[in-house]
Amino acid sequence: MESEELQGIIDHYAGEKGALISVLQDLQGVCNYLPEPALRQVSDALHVPLSQVYSVASFYNAFSLKPRGRHHICVCLGTACHVRGAPRVLQEMERQLGIRAGDTTEDMNFTLESVNCVGACALGPVVVADGGYSGQMTARKVSPLLKTLGTSHEENQNDS
Amino acid sequence: MKKIRTIAELGTLRAALERERESAKVWISVSNETCARANGSDKVIAALDEELRKQGLADQVRVKGTGCSGFCDRNPMVVVFPKEIAYQRVSPDDAAEIVGKTLIKGQVVERLLHHDGKGHAVQHEADLPFYRYQKRLVLRNHGRLDPTDITDYLASGGYTALSQALTMSSEQVIEEISRSGLRGRGGGGFLTGRKWKSCREAHGETKYVICNADEGDPGAYMDRSVLEGNPHSVIEGMIIGAYAIGARMGYVYVRAEYPLAVTNLVIALQQARDCGLLGENILGTGFNFDIRVNRGGGAFVCGESTALMASLEGRVGEPEVKHIHTAESGLWEKPTNLNNVETWANVPVIINKGADWFASIGTEKSKGTKIFSLVGKINNTGLVEVPMGTPLREIIYDIGGGIPHGKKFKAIQTGGPSGGCVPEELLDLPVDFDRLTEVGSMMGSGGMIVMDEGTCMVDVAKYFTGFLQDESCGKCVPCREGTAQMRQILSDICEGRGRPEDIDLLEELGHVVQDTSLCALGGTAANPMLSTLRHFRDEYEAHIFDHRCPAGVCTALIRYTIDVEKCNGCGVCAKQCPQNGVSGEKKQPHSIDQHLCIRCGICREVCRFEAILVN
Amino acid sequence: MPTLTIDGQQVTVPEKTNVIEAAKTLGIEIPHYCYHPGLSVAGNCRMCMVEIEKAPKLAIGCFTPCTEGMVVFTNTEKVKQARKDVLEFLLSNHPLDCPVCDQAGECWLQIYYMQHGQYESRMMENKIKKSKKATSIGPHVNLDQERCVLCGRCVRFCDEITKTHELGIFGRGNREELDVFPGKQLDNRYSGNVVDICPVGALTDRDFRFQVRVWYLGVQDSVCPGCSRGCNIQIHYNRNRPHHGHGRRVARLKPRYNSHVNQFWMCDEGRYGYKFVDAGDRIISPMLRRGAELQMATWGETLAASAERIRAVNPSQIGVIAWPQLTNEELYLVRRLFVDGLGCKNVSFSVPSKKDGGGDDFLITADKNPNTRGAGEIGLPIADSTGDILQAASRGEFKLLHIFGHDLLSSGLDQPLVESALAATETVIFQGSNSHLTVDRADIVLPSATFAEKSGSFTNFEGRVQRIHEAVPPLGDALPDWQILNRMARALEMGWDYQGTEHIFKELAENVAAFSGLSYCVLGDQGELLGYKPTNEAHIPTEPVTTVII
Repeated sequence: MESEELQGIIDHYAGEKGALISVLQDLQGVCNYLPEPALRQVSDALHVPLSQVYSVASFYNAFSLKPRGRHHICVCLGTACHVRGAPRVLQEMERQLGIRAGDTTEDMNFTLESVNCVGACALGPVVVADGGYSGQMTARKVSPLLKTLGTSHEENQNDS
Repeated sequence: MKKIRTIAELGTLRAALERERESAKVWISVSNETCARANGSDKVIAALDEELRKQGLADQVRVKGTGCSGFCDRNPMVVVFPKEIAYQRVSPDDAAEIVGKTLIKGQVVERLLHHDGKGHAVQHEADLPFYRYQKRLVLRNHGRLDPTDITDYLASGGYTALSQALTMSSEQVIEEISRSGLRGRGGGGFLTGRKWKSCREAHGETKYVICNADEGDPGAYMDRSVLEGNPHSVIEGMIIGAYAIGARMGYVYVRAEYPLAVTNLVIALQQARDCGLLGENILGTGFNFDIRVNRGGGAFVCGESTALMASLEGRVGEPEVKHIHTAESGLWEKPTNLNNVETWANVPVIINKGADWFASIGTEKSKGTKIFSLVGKINNTGLVEVPMGTPLREIIYDIGGGIPHGKKFKAIQTGGPSGGCVPEELLDLPVDFDRLTEVGSMMGSGGMIVMDEGTCMVDVAKYFTGFLQDESCGKCVPCREGTAQMRQILSDICEGRGRPEDIDLLEELGHVVQDTSLCALGGTAANPMLSTLRHFRDEYEAHIFDHRCPAGVCTALIRYTIDVEKCNGCGVCAKQCPQNGVSGEKKQPHSIDQHLCIRCGICREVCRFEAILVN
Repeated sequence: MPTLTIDGQQVTVPEKTNVIEAAKTLGIEIPHYCYHPGLSVAGNCRMCMVEIEKAPKLAIGCFTPCTEGMVVFTNTEKVKQARKDVLEFLLSNHPLDCPVCDQAGECWLQIYYMQHGQYESRMMENKIKKSKKATSIGPHVNLDQERCVLCGRCVRFCDEITKTHELGIFGRGNREELDVFPGKQLDNRYSGNVVDICPVGALTDRDFRFQVRVWYLGVQDSVCPGCSRGCNIQIHYNRNRPHHGHGRRVARLKPRYNSHVNQFWMCDEGRYGYKFVDAGDRIISPMLRRGAELQMATWGETLAASAERIRAVNPSQIGVIAWPQLTNEELYLVRRLFVDGLGCKNVSFSVPSKKDGGGDDFLITADKNPNTRGAGEIGLPIADSTGDILQAASRGEFKLLHIFGHDLLSSGLDQPLVESALAATETVIFQGSNSHLTVDRADIVLPSATFAEKSGSFTNFEGRVQRIHEAVPPLGDALPDWQILNRMARALEMGWDYQGTEHIFKELAENVAAFSGLSYCVLGDQGELLGYKPTNEAHIPTEPVTTVII
């Protein structure tokens, strides 16, 4: 990410008190994670100590300090999803991707995360993959979902 | 949209909008919230639009994407007005039939109607048992309004409460809210009027109002639904509150996990601003107020007021020890009033209908209605708004339609992770703030997770304790270390490593965490474990002493086997087994290799003959 | 001023005092980790639980202000149980590496476990592995994340006291870790304090680590000689394990609470600046120049030689450069001997330093001497500055120069001038503790004791007179400067017979107006300002005296 782009984000919140979290959210929106040099720039620009920037960045679930994969899969572990078998869905995801929740596959294709409720309880178990919601998930539906994502990724690559 | 300069102008505009709506009687609503979209509601809207165009009705019939009227697992829901014919689980392919049959021929598409337990089709939304027992105040317009169109809200009486409030003194507004008996819907149950009053009386020029939309309780999503489906009701409530308290700035702290709620809220705010309902000199009264949206960073503890304010200030969302209430020293150390989404959305209702009317609903100490999200092992999943004091049994069976697949009810978990489980023998409990607390649970933000015989209560306790461990901010020792220890012990029990002394140890640890933690998260972190221990001790004992999970949930304690009587050797399970652990001759009963089995349950899921047994 | 009852004893405390501090005045210690009287209250360790009459739940002492009529219990069964439980939680995720932990012996997890814990381990101790073990995070501090109890004192120190914000607690829940931002250093000028306030072995002192076990340390109160602030300190010295610590007798300095001077803190410069006490360049024997060489001699020989040379010259031909590292008592004797006794007219004490002292707006002052103010109050310099004395010496006007401590040849003085002054002067007497270039040019060398090896007092830049005490005996044949001066006066037959520094101070207080009314008794352990007016009222401390390090 270019530092001018980051400056643009920072300028957007110019004069707002306590803009740190919003700036980091926008930054992550652009970069997909929070790169260290950008954190330094945010610290300088907002006059917030680096230690505070880092505390915030490492405290909130929404932030990632590591680069994330091209596809972002989020398994909801809310209560409604849990009692309807979400742990098995997550387990199957982990098994098929070969990573644990919170990690990214080596080829940088998938990042798997869990979330404590996306508020779509009627659909439980829910998986949010690249912003799209899949409801009534089961372990069996994991493989087809991953395939769809993988395909859309290939398509995108072919397009470009 | 033109700026509305006076209260009178708003009245004139509303009258015009109402006339406009009157003249366009036939229209279609499609619930278009997050869960409806997950089931393709936007495609349904597009298909309906397309179909109307094709059949030449595009100019006469408007298709509106609306909020969800609460019957969430029937989404996408399509209601054809004015007859209010309600269709459920509509797909884009149904569009042609709906337009062709219902709109043009005036016939009902039978197969899309709701069918009750006895197989009778129900035509009208209001006749659905799901809605019949509800009393919908906050949710009254969900499913009718386009949340991205302020004129829809205005035409349905929106901002009349604001007009009314602005003609009253701030003391009168507070008095009205106090008299209504409204209590905070976020879980605390604190009297809203009293809270406003102390903030109003606090010293200082600058004051803030905040809307807590950091709906963290898993299984509760009414705040999301209200923000997505009717954001103006919250905005209107906040403006009235700000006027009463003397605040000029408001914040909505909304979960980032709710992208559509953020989008709709931001649109609504901008429209309100454009109309002169927010900003300088609101409706010519000289009152200035604006609202900003802050997205949460994903931390359950930020639902706690001091943590939420720390987060708004751009800091780590850790609760703080405080002598002074946030009403006197909150955000940026200024007097701050924090209410949750549902509380704010109740405010216009009270101003419109009057405190006495509102106070006539509910129980002695809990007034008005409460929205519950009825989820889990229940037939009718959705958002339910009922008067305070409605018995649990009514909510579960009359509204919720009971437990699916004829299974046996076991417990209902209320109050989110801080709450507790209510067992069957307490089902006649009238639900209000105080009664739920009496039985060791709590109201919380209104999550109701129904559990049946297939739910393991130790697993549930482990789940919530694990949730709280993940969400513990880590600041204070008992919560940070205690939740981890409790979870560890619960995991051990679930995995067959439970020790006889663990039950006593759990109880002891639970009380320590309760008594010594810094904030409410820690103070209630033991509730799920303690309340399940209280009501379902036998399940703990079965895990520990018999190494058995009675509900068949804890994978370390269960085995999948094949019932040779029922298995016809179709081979589907063998094909689907990720471990290639199922084998057998074609058309002969199969068997599962226990060494290979990872207990993923796929075989059971795919078997059409109920031949996979759990034991 | 609320009056409350703690464990049955009544006490009246200033408004806003918390329960921990109130209990302290009664000698009741309420255990705590995160609370520190010099920092804001975090309330996170939950160790200082007390029971308050009529309160539904236990309350934390650090955050509970005393109110009129409050009844507090610090030792009920409920309280004891809570402490025990909190300790159990803390230890369940703490490595049991006390045998190799430098904090052992002064670790508050250990101490409180012995006092309040003592349970059988009941939990599955799946300790969370953290990334940094024994990692240097700055020039003076080592971090061990697994030992950290996340009390946050060090973070608050860097946020509130130094305002440098190097440290943070990163992550969340029980994955939280104390750390610096990647690539950053904990390198503020006060970094050593985080080690003092760390209740466990998470932050250890790189200088002190593994030098000596703390239970072999003796403790003596003193004052830091590193600058004119005069921070109150404790000298921790190696009591009876001389083979430990590579011959270092002084193991470390720790700040000592003084609300008027340094509160709870001291700077790194002062903290680590004591090494000269046991350094290899210490002068351990009197020396006389015989031919080209300085040779060891006895005190008798050197003092006789000094007296002889002094007597041989006219007092107007003697230049004295005293030293603001000397105590008030010693500077008083310098004046008594050279000015009052011999009638010298040229006594200076201050020598410019080569580099800027780098004062800040907290504790560090630019003047690197602890007693400049004292020297001035005692009446120095007489007549001329050091520069003037050297000018005169280089013109051959002096036959004898008596130099205390200063290394003129590495100072900020005009070096050719120093050279020519030393060359032109017949006799150079040097009196000091450590060897340097200037010592090599002396004809007579009188080895003196360092601040850690003598008693006396310093007057800080604000005029606060504070006592120092001997922690270790003078090295070799070295003597405290006051003793050297006393002996020299006797050699000059001036009839002196000072029995000790208190004796000198009493006379000083009688003869020097600014010190009038002061005595060692009045100075106590917190010092007293010049111009002190004794009152008839008993001395009542206005705030609780805090002496514990934690």
